[in-house]
Amino acid sequence: MDAKGRGLSETVWTRMDRKAGAITELTIRQLRHRLSTWVVLAVGALVMTLLLAFYVDAIRDDFEPVDNDGDSVDWDQDGYPLGQENKYGTSDWDGQEYPGSGHYVMTGEVEWNDDLRYHSGNHTWEGQGHFDAEWLDLDYTGTRWSGIVDWEGATPCPDGEVFEDWWPDWGYACTYDDESYFVSGKFRASGAVNVPEEAYMQWGHMTLETYVEPEPASMYVDEDGILWDGEDISEIYVESNCQPYGSVYICNGFEVDDDGDCLVEMNDDNNNGIPCDVIWVLDADRDEIVDIRADYNVNEDIEEGKYQGESSHRTFIIGTGKMAFVMMLGIFIPLFLALGLVRDETENGTLHYLLSKPIHRAEFITYRLLGYLLLAGTYILVLVLLMALVTSLIGPGDSLIRLSDFPVWLGIGLATFLVLAAYGALYNTLGLIAPKYGVYFCIILGIWEFIMGLFTMTMPSASVPMLSISHWALQLIDAIVLIAWPDTLQYTQIATAFGIDSGLPFFWQPPVHTFGTQSPVAAILVSVTVLIFITLAMIGIGQSSFKNREIM
Amino acid sequence: MSDNTPAVLIDQASKWYGEVIGINDVSLAIDGGVTGVLGPNGAGKSTLFKLLMGRLKPNQGSVRLFGVDPWTSTAPYRRVGYVSESERMYDWMTGLDFVATLARLHGMTREEATARAEHVLDFVGLSDVQNKEIGKYSKGMRQRVKIAHALVHDPDLIILDEPLHGCDPIARTSIMSVIRELGSQGKTVIISSHILEEIERITEQIVILHNGRLLALGNLHAIRALLDKHPHRILLTCDDPRSLASQFISEDPVYGVRFPEEGQLEIQTNNLSAAHAILPRVIVDSGTAVSAIENPDDNLESLLGYLTGGDS
Repeated sequence: MDAKGRGLSETVWTRMDRKAGAITELTIRQLRHRLSTWVVLAVGALVMTLLLAFYVDAIRDDFEPVDNDGDSVDWDQDGYPLGQENKYGTSDWDGQEYPGSGHYVMTGEVEWNDDLRYHSGNHTWEGQGHFDAEWLDLDYTGTRWSGIVDWEGATPCPDGEVFEDWWPDWGYACTYDDESYFVSGKFRASGAVNVPEEAYMQWGHMTLETYVEPEPASMYVDEDGILWDGEDISEIYVESNCQPYGSVYICNGFEVDDDGDCLVEMNDDNNNGIPCDVIWVLDADRDEIVDIRADYNVNEDIEEGKYQGESSHRTFIIGTGKMAFVMMLGIFIPLFLALGLVRDETENGTLHYLLSKPIHRAEFITYRLLGYLLLAGTYILVLVLLMALVTSLIGPGDSLIRLSDFPVWLGIGLATFLVLAAYGALYNTLGLIAPKYGVYFCIILGIWEFIMGLFTMTMPSASVPMLSISHWALQLIDAIVLIAWPDTLQYTQIATAFGIDSGLPFFWQPPVHTFGTQSPVAAILVSVTVLIFITLAMIGIGQSSFKNREIM
Repeated sequence: MSDNTPAVLIDQASKWYGEVIGINDVSLAIDGGVTGVLGPNGAGKSTLFKLLMGRLKPNQGSVRLFGVDPWTSTAPYRRVGYVSESERMYDWMTGLDFVATLARLHGMTREEATARAEHVLDFVGLSDVQNKEIGKYSKGMRQRVKIAHALVHDPDLIILDEPLHGCDPIARTSIMSVIRELGSQGKTVIISSHILEEIERITEQIVILHNGRLLALGNLHAIRALLDKHPHRILLTCDDPRSLASQFISEDPVYGVRFPEEGQLEIQTNNLSAAHAILPRVIVDSGTAVSAIENPDDNLESLLGYLTGGDS
């Protein structure tokens, strides 16, 4: 650069830059020389390390898939899980009935009202009567699980008339002196039967048994997969199925009941006239699922292994971002670092050195805050990047590093930074206005902010939390998450729609301040604007209070 | 800015804190040379300086630095160096660091600031300790660092609030010579003190404040001359007070002697300068060994007493 260029560069602005540089540098060095700074930063780092330890612990074990509909269980212990028995229409409550098992076909009967109460033949029988046997199938196991006649245990029949003097048990046989029987239950035999008027008897045959390979229980753990990965939401929109409703589209008749447990006993839980379907509610752009309403037993058994891993990972990041970064670091760092930025200088008497220089008091406040923000912001950035690196390396997924996590972490960093700016300006101003009791106001405010933050997470559209700073930062995180991971919306919808255990719906809800556009970009703009406005307003109040203050 | 504008112009300024009066209807113009602002503690010296430095806003009247109101504008501080009475500093900084950091607030680059800081630290005689932390400095060194920071931008007006307060004699001497040097460079220097002797060794031009009012203004010797007409005491500590007394009693300016204590002689006079003029001759002639000469009345309190009309 030539001498002329150098001369031009010497302007009011460069002089201001130098002053700003000097004050910010002084501020950073002052903060660095204070023990409390290091303590609060170390506590923050410690909390993050603890959270990471919990995260690693949780993510290290694979997430166990859960059989939500219980059809992987073999209730009757016949070797076939409920799901397979449902497919074959056999009962899972009867061990004798299973896919491929023969079933009973009735060919005739003597019932209570019949006049003819005699029949003979080679049949499979069920009922009660005097039986004169030619042949008995002693190995008969029947198809029903109760009442197989136990020929081996037959005892002499009691004296007197049956149904008058004694009552036979079901599955019982007794012998008369003439070697005929009285039977009660199911049996296979050839012979003649005489049915008393108080009893009935039916007969028929069993169909042939075929062998059906039992399917493994694991097939029925994740069998009702649903569209959860968000890769082809646009395919959901089919004109014939989707009707516009207000600003959203309601799409009926989707998804198949893969395991047929809805089709067995059809229901229309979502009241759209189509049994066993899922309603997808799409947003105006048809690229986001806004709501999922499923009929009972449809899509209930999703692939949790994958789902839980991903949703736990996101829950951790969002939860850490909101609770640890915004609500803890965001509130505590300014309390220790920003409250005394200008107040302490006044109290220490060191302010005289600075104010005897040609620097405006308003400028001074701004540069002090700038110095504080540089220090706190660098700290947050480092912390966020470390967290991002660790979680993206060990997080779920096939790729070595989850790059899509970084925008979210950086967004959390941005939200925390803006919160640090807003609280910093607020606390600094409070310290100026009320040097003695400012700290109590700040603590009360901190509690208020924390409670409002919790309300924001549970009821984001409530209006009272809008009076807090944390509300806007949390909204900002919500919006950034929606941009970086658009399918987070689906994750929460799935968790809510199918009752899956997940913290995601608590920690994340779609941003509300979008002026009705549902656009996360609008929400980001609104939140950032509000946070910057609060910061500037607080700086302004602090400046005007400080400007007119007499300094003893 | 016109050269006719005085560095300091105070016009009927009053400042009070609730019921307590800090400065009461003070009018003052100072430009060039070293001016001592004298007054006991609580006379309003610091209030006056804080008005000048824009820390306080006058309740009445006006205060101008180079024609500009320091309460509303920081512009005059480009030409002003201020040494506050505050004892607190950034103890963790080195002297060089402290001065250079504050120099940057004048818009200097880091290099310019360091060069200027080294220069002024050398000027106040601290170049050998400039890389030590201020926390390890002696009282006198701290005062000199404060003076250095006020000089770093080569100001036209330097305001020093009690710069000698609490310093040991050696530091006091070196600070005084720094201030005299500044005066000889043609700068306007305003220095406050509550000790007459300190100011007397630096300057003749004084302003006396008492209870917030401007009591006297002008040449110290002229004020002193007024005082000479009042009874004064000179206290001598010597071997043989009585024989010395007999020598003195015959001299014209002396009108009485007393022996307040063993080995002490008190001479009473109503012309202090004349008495001091004959003093060496009489002592030499008498051959008595005199170990100390004190002027118990030659202090600010008695000066104020005379000025306010009390006859002490």
